[in-house]
Amino acid sequence: MEPKYTITLCDAEFSSEHSVGLKDAFEKAAKANSLENGLRFTTCKTLGLNGKGAVVVVNPGYYVYGNVTEELVDRIVAEHLVGGEAVEENLIKEDHLFNRSFKTFGDSEFFGKQLRIALRNCGNIDPDNIDDYLANRGYEALAKVLTDMTPFDVIQEVKKSGVRGRGGAGFPTGLKWEFTQRSQADEKYVVCNADEGDPGAFMDRSTIEGDPHTVLEGMAIAGYAIGASKGVIYIRAEYPLAIKRLEKAIADARNAGFLGTKILGSDFDFDIELRLGAGAFVCGEETALLNSIEGRRGMPRPRPPFPAQSGLFGKPTLINNVETWANIPVIILDGSEWFSSVGTENSKGTKVFALAGKVVNTGLVEVPMGTTLRDIVYDIGGGIPNGKKLKAIQTGGPSGGCLPVEYLDTKIDYESLAKAGSIMGSGGMIVIDEDTCMVSIAKFFLEFTQDESCGKCTPCREGTKRMLEILTRITDGKGKPDDVAKLERLGNMIKKASLCGLGQSAPNPVLSTIKNFREEYEEHINEGKCRAGQCQSLLSYVINDNCVGCGACKRVCPVDAISGEKKEAHLIDQDKCIKCGQCYQACKFKAIGKF
Amino acid sequence: MATPLEILKQKQSEAIERLAAKVSDSTIKVNVGMATCEIAAGSRNVMAVFRDAIDSGEIEGVVLSQKGCAGRCYLEPTVEIFIPGKTPYKYGKVDAERAKEIIQRHLKNGEVIQEWLI
Repeated sequence: MEPKYTITLCDAEFSSEHSVGLKDAFEKAAKANSLENGLRFTTCKTLGLNGKGAVVVVNPGYYVYGNVTEELVDRIVAEHLVGGEAVEENLIKEDHLFNRSFKTFGDSEFFGKQLRIALRNCGNIDPDNIDDYLANRGYEALAKVLTDMTPFDVIQEVKKSGVRGRGGAGFPTGLKWEFTQRSQADEKYVVCNADEGDPGAFMDRSTIEGDPHTVLEGMAIAGYAIGASKGVIYIRAEYPLAIKRLEKAIADARNAGFLGTKILGSDFDFDIELRLGAGAFVCGEETALLNSIEGRRGMPRPRPPFPAQSGLFGKPTLINNVETWANIPVIILDGSEWFSSVGTENSKGTKVFALAGKVVNTGLVEVPMGTTLRDIVYDIGGGIPNGKKLKAIQTGGPSGGCLPVEYLDTKIDYESLAKAGSIMGSGGMIVIDEDTCMVSIAKFFLEFTQDESCGKCTPCREGTKRMLEILTRITDGKGKPDDVAKLERLGNMIKKASLCGLGQSAPNPVLSTIKNFREEYEEHINEGKCRAGQCQSLLSYVINDNCVGCGACKRVCPVDAISGEKKEAHLIDQDKCIKCGQCYQACKFKAIGKF
Repeated sequence: MATPLEILKQKQSEAIERLAAKVSDSTIKVNVGMATCEIAAGSRNVMAVFRDAIDSGEIEGVVLSQKGCAGRCYLEPTVEIFIPGKTPYKYGKVDAERAKEIIQRHLKNGEVIQEWLI
């Protein structure tokens, strides 16, 4: 029989000194009370309950105990687990907005090690049912600002929280709000950037599909704070389900009086419309995004003027990313003081990452800033599959960099990642194992940015093209001795001279792999070798002594490069071989080696 | 005049009442992941299996709901079963076949299928 109760021990810094021994205490008490089937234990990183001492969660029922001591453990076991009556005076009953998903998922290790703010409702509520959102304190933050707070108060609260833009650049959100609020104009706009374009990233899609109302609520709060009555969500047409859910959410919110005129009986008017993008990567850049909304070609323009002064249709405009909006209701209801207690000195709150690549538990994770890469990859991600070795972690998508294993203990925040040579970005995190060629991965990202370059400015348009040519040459085994130096010079030039963030960051994957994996570039160029065995052109297939002369390889070779009599060792003509690898697949005797 | 917060509180309690009207103290709630990723992994079929079982009267006292993506890509489609007084059961990699078995074994016979739990 399974144990009836699950005990989750919170292993956060503030309680680590206490939590040691608590497990023993539980086990001892369970034995002393001869508790049927024993107990099931899980651990969690933090519940975000700073200053509550050691925290323990008892399930079923989601009972949260604070300031747990060994004496209290005895009482919990005797009175709660055996007697069926919770120890009331030690229960934490505050209904926080953050970490709501913990009630359902907290006893699972994968979720227990996360702290969910932006994703608090994802996977817990029916996104198409506004009642579900309301039952989870939905729109309460909006009602609170309309009732108790002036626009000035709201901006101060956001500023004090220390939240920074989750789209990647990390600009302090409160400052952005303040700038837009200060701009004088008859009309202002609030824009949500849902143009998620990084390959392999799905943070925004999941947030919208799981909890669309939180984005609307965040935007409405901003509208009140800066004095805007119109909001626009720019979302790519490739996200049909997210669009459908947003349309439903907007319609429901209008019906319920959370959008439209005289919201909740106040004098505040605010409405939101959707604008669909055709899926160009550059439209995630704010000025290109605004052009696209206006119906013009999605190309960036120089800043200043910043959108806060002159944005959509020339009016002051506040643009934030989906994840930033999803944080706003929590900042308002749980308070800036709580919010700023999570994270590091200059990066507050949490960050959502799309964990992908060569890792056991791929998925969406939200962790407090300051969590190390090691915690994400090994603790939450479950390590590398098939016993392979970790080689690097790529963060920030096509604008980011690759960090080698030496940086595993880097704390995740805007500054630390930048110092290590990568960026936070919007939250893509790709785990790379020893079977991946670093030159190829740099080429992959550059192919993407080169393709997505809008063509407006020369450094980005021409420079990325030249860089890609050089990278292709290297992976084809035709690299020249000064190619690495050329890549570095070009890369630095593109970074300095490009108009927008796309070009300014496009060389990052190449420059960071050169910095950290220079020897792989040099091997490709000087020795014609790809240590990961990924660059087809650099491979050679050779038949060894295991060959029994069965002829299987000879039959599948499409270019007749293999010769040899039956039952005698065969030979591959390296000049004819096109390295398709079919012989390697066909051989049943491990007689073909790949070098 | 009521403040926005008072109006909202009223709306919230109405919402909670509407939700409560659908369930009783013994109602079992089943959540099926229906985000793009879950649907791509095959959750529509899973939803259909549960829907059919409820519509045909095979299982009673069960409320079915969709939910967004909780973030466990490699275990999708995911299904959660909320039984009053129990820690929510979280099943992973649920296809139509597994859904049928969950209905037979867990919902009808109360047997938790340990090996599929997340």
